[in-house]
Amino acid sequence: MTNSDKVNILMVDDQPAKLLSYEAILGELGENLVKALSGREALDILLKNDVAVVLMDVSMPEIDGFEMAEIIRQHPRFQRTAIIFISAVHLTDLDRLKGYQRGAVDYISVPVVPEVLRAKVSVFAELHRKRRQLEVLNRELEARVMERTEELQESETQFRTLANSIPQLAWMAGPGGDVFWYNQRWYDYTGTTLEEARGVGWHNLHHPEHVTRVLQGLEHSWETGAPWEDTFPLRGQDGEYRWFLSRAVPIFDSHDKITRWFGTCTDISRQLAAEEALRKTERLAAMGRVAGIIAHEINNPLEAITNAFYLLQTHPSLDDEARSYARMAGEELARISHITRQSLSFYRESQQAVPVSVATVLDDVLELQRRHLRISGVEVDKDYKSNVLILAYPAELKQVFLNLVGNALQAMPRGGRLRVTIRDTAERGRLPRGIRISVCDTGSGIKPEDAKRLFEPFFTTKSTKGTGLGLWISKGIIQKYDGTIRFRSLKLNGGSATCFSVFIPGAMAMQKPELAALSGV
Amino acid sequence: MDDEPNALILRKLVLQKAGYDVVTANSAFQALDVLTAQKVDLVLSDQHMPGQTGTELARQIKSKWPSLPVILLSGVNEIPPDADIADLFLSKVEGPVNLCRSVGDVLSRSRTF
Repeated sequence: MTNSDKVNILMVDDQPAKLLSYEAILGELGENLVKALSGREALDILLKNDVAVVLMDVSMPEIDGFEMAEIIRQHPRFQRTAIIFISAVHLTDLDRLKGYQRGAVDYISVPVVPEVLRAKVSVFAELHRKRRQLEVLNRELEARVMERTEELQESETQFRTLANSIPQLAWMAGPGGDVFWYNQRWYDYTGTTLEEARGVGWHNLHHPEHVTRVLQGLEHSWETGAPWEDTFPLRGQDGEYRWFLSRAVPIFDSHDKITRWFGTCTDISRQLAAEEALRKTERLAAMGRVAGIIAHEINNPLEAITNAFYLLQTHPSLDDEARSYARMAGEELARISHITRQSLSFYRESQQAVPVSVATVLDDVLELQRRHLRISGVEVDKDYKSNVLILAYPAELKQVFLNLVGNALQAMPRGGRLRVTIRDTAERGRLPRGIRISVCDTGSGIKPEDAKRLFEPFFTTKSTKGTGLGLWISKGIIQKYDGTIRFRSLKLNGGSATCFSVFIPGAMAMQKPELAALSGV
Repeated sequence: MDDEPNALILRKLVLQKAGYDVVTANSAFQALDVLTAQKVDLVLSDQHMPGQTGTELARQIKSKWPSLPVILLSGVNEIPPDADIADLFLSKVEGPVNLCRSVGDVLSRSRTF
């Protein structure tokens, strides 16, 4: 038996001779024997040491054995400490019962039989040793449980951090597809709670046109265990749908049984928009090439024919009737020229965009229309509160504003006010900083039934005069700059006011004198 | 100046009707010959011609006769990067009235200098 395995046996008796005899009897057990001559001394030893068995004389001066036992038992550490009483007088069953109630464990009567004492002490010593070993084992187990719990908590924290930091919406479902977990991003995007989305609650976040297909695909995967993938719109908490690429994979246990499904939804709206923009750009470029060829092939003979009819109109050999036919032909040809100039010059005229002063472009446009403005009796009110430059193709901007000013003019055949304003706009939310140009007139206004179709190709309110392409082309040009074109038409007392507002993002630095020279059209 | 005979004749007639004296040439080479042989107040040339563009012709003219105004006409709606060499770059489909007015404008501008 090593020292650390030994247990302490405390012997308490007021007579040193008795203590010596106990020591002799118990010596061969090989445990630590500790002696105390009084109850007080015994208590002192108990408090300082881990004692397996207390061997105690019942009759002692000051505090007798039973009283001593009662004091010992009051201390929580000693509630299970074994106490063996040694009694010189005969103990009745009642005395024993009293002893047991006070926490005694066993009794030995005098004269002490050495074998009996040894056997009894030895049993308790062994019991104590086992309990001590069990406690050690228990502590080790508790420590390991704590460790594993911490590991699990750490792993759980890592999973949550990861799941919430990825840009995707993520979810987990049981083998049958009942969703029981979503990451934070899911809640942020959908604005739902787990209670609302749990089980099949997420179905109504899907677009009605897609939900059936999505569910069929998922059902198939729940049944077969095959990974799932689909692309579909999902409604956000703002009510807008965005497109998501969604995947789900099954997670198997050690018996190849599906325990859960792990799924992600990646927002691909931006990619889709970029692809669409690219397709549109390619289409525009192809149209531009075709338009260039057509322009050349149409404009050359068109000029010759126009000139020929122009000459015919005044030719002396023709009578008035023939000349009127030539004049009509000339007017129709002018319509063709107008339409080819408008539609076929939709495409870039220079190879790269240059810094342009919108104010200069507007001034050019107003200068071009000066005669018309004067004839129609239209008063011009300019209010430019911006001197920034934007990167653009001057001819395109000129076309847009020539169209807006031209429309305004035509809406005011009997005069009115044309108000042209330019403003810098600061970055606001999703809207980048840029420049806003408004062209407002006090003309005939826009009928509500026309408002919706205003930007459609070949829609015109000017019967024979318009091509119906002006605003459509203007919108196309502004969209190329990632800008927007809007209008408002208000009925005011007696008259009406119509305002077209163009926003172009991406204003450059303040205009410098040397750059202003570049911006001329 | 134009390589297409019909267009050339009709444009000449339109300008004559407006009161101008017109000499025609159907190639850049011929145009430079005319300019060397007689005094001309303004050159009106097509931009797209086989072999040489109008702007290239304009550059040659400007190097010899810096003050001689040049108007270029184009059937396509693309303005070439070196269009600034010409005094005016016009679309062919502006029509005869605009053409005559533009010629008049450029002439009066060149005379004031």
